[in-house]
Amino acid sequence: MSLQAEPPEIERWTEPPGRSYLAISELVAAPLLERRQWRWRAWWIAFGIASGLTLIMAICMSWLFATGVGIFGNNTTIVWGLPIADYVWWIGIGNAGTLISSMLLLMRQRWRASINRFAEAMTLFAATIAGLFPIMHLGRPEYFYWLLPYPNTMVVWPQWRSALIWDFWAISSYILFSILFWYVGLIPDLATLRDRAKTAFPRSFYGALALGWRGSARHWYFYEHYHLTMACLAVPLVVSLHSVVGMDFAASLMPGWQESIFPPYFVVGAMYSGFAMVVLLTALVRWGFNLQPLITAEHFNVMAKIMLAASIIMGLSYLTEWFAAWYHGERAERWLVGFEFTGGYAPVYWCMLLFNCIVPQLFWFVRIRCSIVAVVVIAILINVGMWLERIEIVWNTLSHDFLPSMWRIFIPTFWDWALLFSSLGFFGFLYLLLARIFPMVSMHETRRLIYEESHQ
Amino acid sequence: MSQVKQHPPASPSALNRRAALKLLGSGLALTLSSCGRPHEEIVPYVEMPEGLVPGVPMKFATTLALAGYGRGALAISVDGRPIKIEGNPRHPASLGATDVFAEAEIMSLYDPDRAKAPRTKDDVVTWDAFAQALFAQMQQEKARHGAGLRIVTGRITSPTLLRQINALLTQYPEARWYSYEPISDDAAFDGSMLAYGRRLAALPRLADAAVVLSLDADPLGAGPRQIADARAFSQRRTRQAQPFLRLYTVEPEWTLTGANSDHRLALHPDLIRNFALAVTAQMQGENAPDLPDPVAHFAKICADDLKANKSKALVLVGRRQPPELHALGHWLNAQLNAPVDFIAPADGNPLGDAQALQTLSRDLDDGRVETLAIVGANPVYDTPADLGLAHKIGKVAFSVHLGLHENETADQCSWRLPMSHTLESWSDLRAFDGTASIVQPLILPLYDSRQAHDLLGLMAGTIAPSAYDLVRQTWQAQRSGGDFDTWWKQTLHDGVVANSAAARVATGAPKRPDVKPAQAARGLSLLLGADPSVWDGRFANNAWLQECPHPFTKEVWGHGIYLSPGDARRLNIADRETIEVWHDSASLRAPARVREGQADGVIAVELGYGRTRAGAIGNGIGVNAYPLRTTASPWLISDVSLRGTGEIRNVPLLQHNFDLEGDGKDLYPVLTLAELAQGKQPPDHDYENRPTLYAKVNYDSYAWAMVIDTSLCIGCNACVVACQAENNVPVIGPEEVAMGRDMHWLRVDRYVPDPERPPGFQPVPCMHCEQAPCEPVCPVAASVHDGEGLNAQVYNRCIGTRFCQSNCPYKVRRFNWFGYADGQEYADLGADSVRASHNPDVTVRGRGVMEKCTYCIQRINRARHHAEIVDQPIPDGAVVTACQAACPTRAITFGNRNSKASAITALRREPHHYALLGHLGTRPRTTYLARLRNPNPAMQEKAQA
Repeated sequence: MSLQAEPPEIERWTEPPGRSYLAISELVAAPLLERRQWRWRAWWIAFGIASGLTLIMAICMSWLFATGVGIFGNNTTIVWGLPIADYVWWIGIGNAGTLISSMLLLMRQRWRASINRFAEAMTLFAATIAGLFPIMHLGRPEYFYWLLPYPNTMVVWPQWRSALIWDFWAISSYILFSILFWYVGLIPDLATLRDRAKTAFPRSFYGALALGWRGSARHWYFYEHYHLTMACLAVPLVVSLHSVVGMDFAASLMPGWQESIFPPYFVVGAMYSGFAMVVLLTALVRWGFNLQPLITAEHFNVMAKIMLAASIIMGLSYLTEWFAAWYHGERAERWLVGFEFTGGYAPVYWCMLLFNCIVPQLFWFVRIRCSIVAVVVIAILINVGMWLERIEIVWNTLSHDFLPSMWRIFIPTFWDWALLFSSLGFFGFLYLLLARIFPMVSMHETRRLIYEESHQ
Repeated sequence: MSQVKQHPPASPSALNRRAALKLLGSGLALTLSSCGRPHEEIVPYVEMPEGLVPGVPMKFATTLALAGYGRGALAISVDGRPIKIEGNPRHPASLGATDVFAEAEIMSLYDPDRAKAPRTKDDVVTWDAFAQALFAQMQQEKARHGAGLRIVTGRITSPTLLRQINALLTQYPEARWYSYEPISDDAAFDGSMLAYGRRLAALPRLADAAVVLSLDADPLGAGPRQIADARAFSQRRTRQAQPFLRLYTVEPEWTLTGANSDHRLALHPDLIRNFALAVTAQMQGENAPDLPDPVAHFAKICADDLKANKSKALVLVGRRQPPELHALGHWLNAQLNAPVDFIAPADGNPLGDAQALQTLSRDLDDGRVETLAIVGANPVYDTPADLGLAHKIGKVAFSVHLGLHENETADQCSWRLPMSHTLESWSDLRAFDGTASIVQPLILPLYDSRQAHDLLGLMAGTIAPSAYDLVRQTWQAQRSGGDFDTWWKQTLHDGVVANSAAARVATGAPKRPDVKPAQAARGLSLLLGADPSVWDGRFANNAWLQECPHPFTKEVWGHGIYLSPGDARRLNIADRETIEVWHDSASLRAPARVREGQADGVIAVELGYGRTRAGAIGNGIGVNAYPLRTTASPWLISDVSLRGTGEIRNVPLLQHNFDLEGDGKDLYPVLTLAELAQGKQPPDHDYENRPTLYAKVNYDSYAWAMVIDTSLCIGCNACVVACQAENNVPVIGPEEVAMGRDMHWLRVDRYVPDPERPPGFQPVPCMHCEQAPCEPVCPVAASVHDGEGLNAQVYNRCIGTRFCQSNCPYKVRRFNWFGYADGQEYADLGADSVRASHNPDVTVRGRGVMEKCTYCIQRINRARHHAEIVDQPIPDGAVVTACQAACPTRAITFGNRNSKASAITALRREPHHYALLGHLGTRPRTTYLARLRNPNPAMQEKAQA
């Protein structure tokens, strides 16, 4: 930390037009309640594109279920393909919202107030979309529910030793938890909207969802306890979720997968890509809803610092992997590292190292960190890099394992790419719908931020 | 039914509620009444035919032809459907084993593209219509003593068919019969003419040999003798063999023989005669022709080794070498007192293939042919282009083609007749050594087809007896006394006519031919060869064979043009680049396949592809090399031109990496006899005593295990096709293979553990690991272990996560990416007739399900049923897996490792026993014996120097 005087906290996290309770409520609620005055052109354009992509996703899924999982580029050797990488990537993104809400809450990082709401929404949708991919990747998706220990006449239960079962439970519980966490955090704001609504429908709609919230001290008392408890639960859950995803690979015999570093490495990777996605959404929400008073360059600055730390940990993880492969001494492990750098996917691997480890080092510079454009561009690169990392984990090991006779290369098909990009569109579709219905910034938490910062 | 018709016609406008209900009611009535009995009287199946138990497979001995020679077979039939071919242990060309072609005959039988009814150019006709037309035509021929009658066939060894042809030729003295094989043995027969003055077939006895020199000969490669030669070879290649055979091979391109030799030299085909002369000179102490140093050294060592092993040394010359070299081979063998027998050839063709075709061509040119009957052959496709038969046959006024398919030749004929498959026919065949056996049908003809005996009967014009009677007459005539019916029954049962092998001919001393050294052609030469999957093209429409990988390139659904790396560099051709090869006016366009071990200056391509009228499977696969062939030089075309196109295409391959560098050699250990004697063991020999945290599982009943001897695996693929036939493994087609998918439960990996030495083959079925990595990762417990150590896959339970295959270090699991056998079949393989080929004891897997080798669990259970009936444990050898049964060299052994006395237990104690990737702690039940080599120490000294 530098010795020069830091600006007061309130100046770091807000700008003057957003420094009163009323201003905050107006800034956030206006787009929802005063639709006539609000210009929604950008929204409609974005929604049109997102709907188109969602339609493509529906076509992809219909074609997939009608024709079979063979439409993807998978082959006998590389039986897992893009949907698995997409799944890990989406679930990684799905981690960050909860991390921001809970971990930063527990660490008393008050600046999280202006970004945690849409980060949580991101979590919710990303985790949901992530949950679709393993099902789409099944040979017989119609039987996905066999992973559930439901009572059946044959008394067959799932096989509890399989990491996929752990994974199934981890995702299911995480999605349920995310919904609860997000919704409960929303209740005071729904009450605000109910109270500010000028017409009957919004009033009853928000009123019903607000569950009778009156803002009494008793309400706040329960709310605070409940929220804090959930946050305490969330941290281990979020860590376990991605650890389990890591174990999908680590609980195996394969070179490059069978590594004890995988669970923590996956958690950090998830946080990394999740924060990068949050940065991107922050920039869009800030621009789209004119929230500059509540979301400042300082927010980008601190998130860039977190990404910088994560990138260093990622780099260390890669180094550990290479070292472990050499130290392990197994022929296949060493072959694999050689293959990563020189084999059929080498350009992908080099790009991944560049995007995940090299480019984020620019965050050492304050000017880069405080430039929203620069942070957003680097965040996009990190997201690309993290996707590449996930596909590399799947591809490299399966393409180059123990028996050279079965070594093969994966070539993605049209459907592989279509599903990946259309899932982004589906995410946008859900997110844009949400933005039209629910407040994108937590009003009550921002108000509290202002209160606490101005009363220090 | 009549009530339905009385209903008023229901126009849409008139359809009110009442009418709708009425229609519904009558619809229901119609559905119910349609389940009634047929009008004709039907007979219930009250009493079972003797010996038939529904669902229990029965075996029938029969004989299958390859290039005209018979290979004995036991066809397995379930409820009247033949579903699998096994070898007949009593037959000398089968010895209980099969080859890829025999296994695939099931697919040929049920091929939906078979000719189904007689046809003229425009119409489907009846056999009666054809018989009338033929009768009229034969009347004309009778008037001119058959001067216009020509019969064209492939090689014929059937005593009955030969008898019919001879009778016809007596009846029509001016008629002519021409027989030919595209994969011709002319050179060998001509060589015997040169050496002995007679047309003789040589039968080398590999089992009695200690040193063998193969000059472009391929006894282990595909062909009618493959099984017998491979078995004899394998008897001399086990650790216990005394002496252990040493094989030298000199050849221009890779053959299976070359791959299994101890020393191999790649040499231009023109120079092989110089090599042979050098060997002769060294043996006789004469002046050797000028040869490059390594070649001369190789020749010297070969000659010394041959000479040192007199009466156990053998020189083999391949069919692609000229007659003089065959004669020289005979002379050398005579000097060595080599283990070779001679017999009179089993086919009745005195002309030789080339001369037969040339005479036919001249007859057609002179307009002498009025009536042409082509039986089972395809001369429009598979004869040398310089004869121009393709154009000439179409001009014959009355031409008949009898064949399994309406092929290229049928297309040119006025009558196209469907021929019955061997499994639908009565006939007889002789094996390469003259042993006769009966062809017995297992099923009534599926279509309105006849066989060659019927056609010849029609041509003879009498009221022809059935093929069954004809065959019986042939054999009855040869037997004097004794009860014929008893003999007949016994012969049918055994599948071999007892004591019918041809008598050995005493030859006397051969003449030494005058062979002059040759210069290698300066330009590129193109070498042709039989294809290991489709032979000469006759199997091109067989989906199992099209998907059966070439042993070296592992290419399926087509072939490439093979180049040496030196030539590829010189001509600037990349691997898989489409190249154009032309000579005179004929040209080929195919992907180049650059491969080590190919002689410089010679490119090679297999015959049998580029069919245009094969059927939905074979049409347009690969390129047709016959147009480059000439009668004068059927195997080697000198001075071809070659041009790269720069276009690189994806070639459907089942294996992409072949090299084993550094530590990778552990995957395919190779030991020399000397190393074995010194006590050297493969790295994963002691895999079972590795430390483990897990409690040892006690298998207290049976513990099934398999041992595969890689020394004996010659890479012939018979096991691959056998497994496919036994286990209903679907064919997926070239596009899916190019996607990197394949369904074979058993694959034969080819590895190059040492670039200086021939490659080796390693069959890889499921390892049935005791600590199977696939089992704990399956979320729905579809991959489970049974009490006898089998790793079982429950298809019904599988939801297709594919974690099992991800975690399988051997990658032996196969996934149904599409419904390959379940509604999304390749080409016409979803036809009902193909479904009839399925083994009813094995589930046909649906889409999205993982499958893999089961150790033929259905065969284990069948053996268990038998054992339980007599209340005994399953005896050793009672369970024979499909791959094991097929293997010509007995490289695969299966059994119960809990039994101390079983063959498998003995093999697992061998010093060169090892487990693939044993160090992973998977404790596989499938284990291997390391490849043993017997190199000549003299050769190694040179290599080190």
